[in-house]
Amino acid sequence: MSKVMTIKDAVEKNINNGDFLFIGGYVCRPPFSAVHEIIRQHKTDLTIARSNAADDFDMLIGAGCVKRFISTFISLGLYGLARCYRRSIEKGIPNKIELEEYTNLSLPMMFMAGAMGMPFVPVKDMVGTDMMKIRSFMGENKYRMIDSPFDGKPVMLVPALNPDVAIIHVQQADENGNAQMWGIGGDCKWGANAAKKVIVTCERIISRETIGKDPSRTIVPAFKVAAVCEEPFGAHPGYTPGFYDVDFSFGYVYQQATNTVEGFQSFLDEWVFGVKDRNEYIQHYINRFGFAQYKKLQARFDYGYPVSYSY
Amino acid sequence: MSEHPNDYIKPELMACCGARHIRDNDVVIVGTGFPTMAANIAKHTHAPNATMMQESGVFDARPARPALSVGDPCLNPGAAMVGGLIEVMGMFLQGGWVDCGFLSGAQVDKFGNINTTVIGDYNKPKSRLPGSGGANPIGALAKRVLIIALHDKRSLAERVDFITTPGYLDGPGAREKWGLPPDTGPEVIVTNKAVMHFDKDTKEAYLTSWHPDTNIDEVVSLTPWKLKVSDDAHETEPPTAEELRVLREVLDPFRMIKIYEKRGYI
Repeated sequence: MSKVMTIKDAVEKNINNGDFLFIGGYVCRPPFSAVHEIIRQHKTDLTIARSNAADDFDMLIGAGCVKRFISTFISLGLYGLARCYRRSIEKGIPNKIELEEYTNLSLPMMFMAGAMGMPFVPVKDMVGTDMMKIRSFMGENKYRMIDSPFDGKPVMLVPALNPDVAIIHVQQADENGNAQMWGIGGDCKWGANAAKKVIVTCERIISRETIGKDPSRTIVPAFKVAAVCEEPFGAHPGYTPGFYDVDFSFGYVYQQATNTVEGFQSFLDEWVFGVKDRNEYIQHYINRFGFAQYKKLQARFDYGYPVSYSY
Repeated sequence: MSEHPNDYIKPELMACCGARHIRDNDVVIVGTGFPTMAANIAKHTHAPNATMMQESGVFDARPARPALSVGDPCLNPGAAMVGGLIEVMGMFLQGGWVDCGFLSGAQVDKFGNINTTVIGDYNKPKSRLPGSGGANPIGALAKRVLIIALHDKRSLAERVDFITTPGYLDGPGAREKWGLPPDTGPEVIVTNKAVMHFDKDTKEAYLTSWHPDTNIDEVVSLTPWKLKVSDDAHETEPPTAEELRVLREVLDPFRMIKIYEKRGYI
């Protein structure tokens, strides 16, 4: 059964106000076209999570979509601290989000536990630090310390996380939702598989036969997927390995814009509310920065030596 | 060319100081900037069998240009293995296979605890910082941690505002009490003024060398805790001609390292 639909339909049908979202994309493959659509549809009271959050999370926070953030880290990379996030935490603009903080070890482990149906997972980090002193909306359930029943030593347990929806951007998927990813993975595979359902956006939709040419690339199987949206350039200004590079100059445009509330609003007006979908976004990008700049980001295809699965 | 050229800048000296703490065959977890440069200097000089990984999931990358983030696209082609956080942070780091990690932060204290969370009160922050990311697990689980810091009374502290990443916590025995793996913890703090190691008994950072343009008194006066001085404290060995050649010709031909001067590493 085909699950192919527009990102507008995918967000409308699958994301409710108040939902808990995993949003994939540790540095690479941030699902920006979906993030823009969430903002366009004014979704609110969301809980959002990913290891090493970046400009996509900053944008959702600035746009007022977020109530709670299960965080490990958030910055604009080369461009320093995330401005909308800081305004939220320091000044309550547009609203003060609630934070629960983990690390780039413990949060992926919590998604792994969620994906595997385990209630919790022991981790060896965070102990002894001030990260243990702060508890927010998860209260006592942020973590528990026990003595290991096996060696009696203290061990921290952190709870499994099962988001309502995971949104991931991958290189390719078939119309049923088998999603293939390559390159740096971050916590994408585990966040997606921990979720009750998955929205897959991809650079291209391919046949089931092509999926089978290299099945080791599939990170989410079709039965977990609720929607498949073909969104070329869907991770811009982030990168998608094999398709396009990080757009550092656009990162600077975002950083400059977000120095003020007004600047952020006009950024949204131009790049989110000013276009109705990814095609218009790409067209606007080309109009604004030129086709040469768009072309410069695109990857040169390098097929290398294919793996053989033959006998 | 003399063995120690005079035209180096301070961040180059700091990168070389970091490199000298990497041993051959070390598995090193690196971020961008100083850590990558230090690890690569080591790899091109005394530690050819050291291998690097990035927490994003990359093992033994051979990037064509210096990586600008731990997830930079240039880390993908040529790497020996690409997975994700569960592989590098879970299997390798938590599994106990990482020898050496590099960390820095807004504040570092005398026990090597690092703050990357908040300046001021957590609930009413003067300045909200990015958070832990991979720093806490690296500080908790890497066998040796090398800390890079600015040497002034804002960046160094008797006690950080918020312990994001464990050094020796509140002193001897504290890591053990919390069940952190034995024989782990910070080894050295390299600043723009000096190199400090950690006392085996008190776990406090003490001065082992001062950089060529400063002296013991200045370093002590810039340090917010009562800085003990090693009996065999000495001037830091400047970069060698070979270290500088590797850094400038092989690793960083555009001298991106100069951005650290703008960040106060002078």
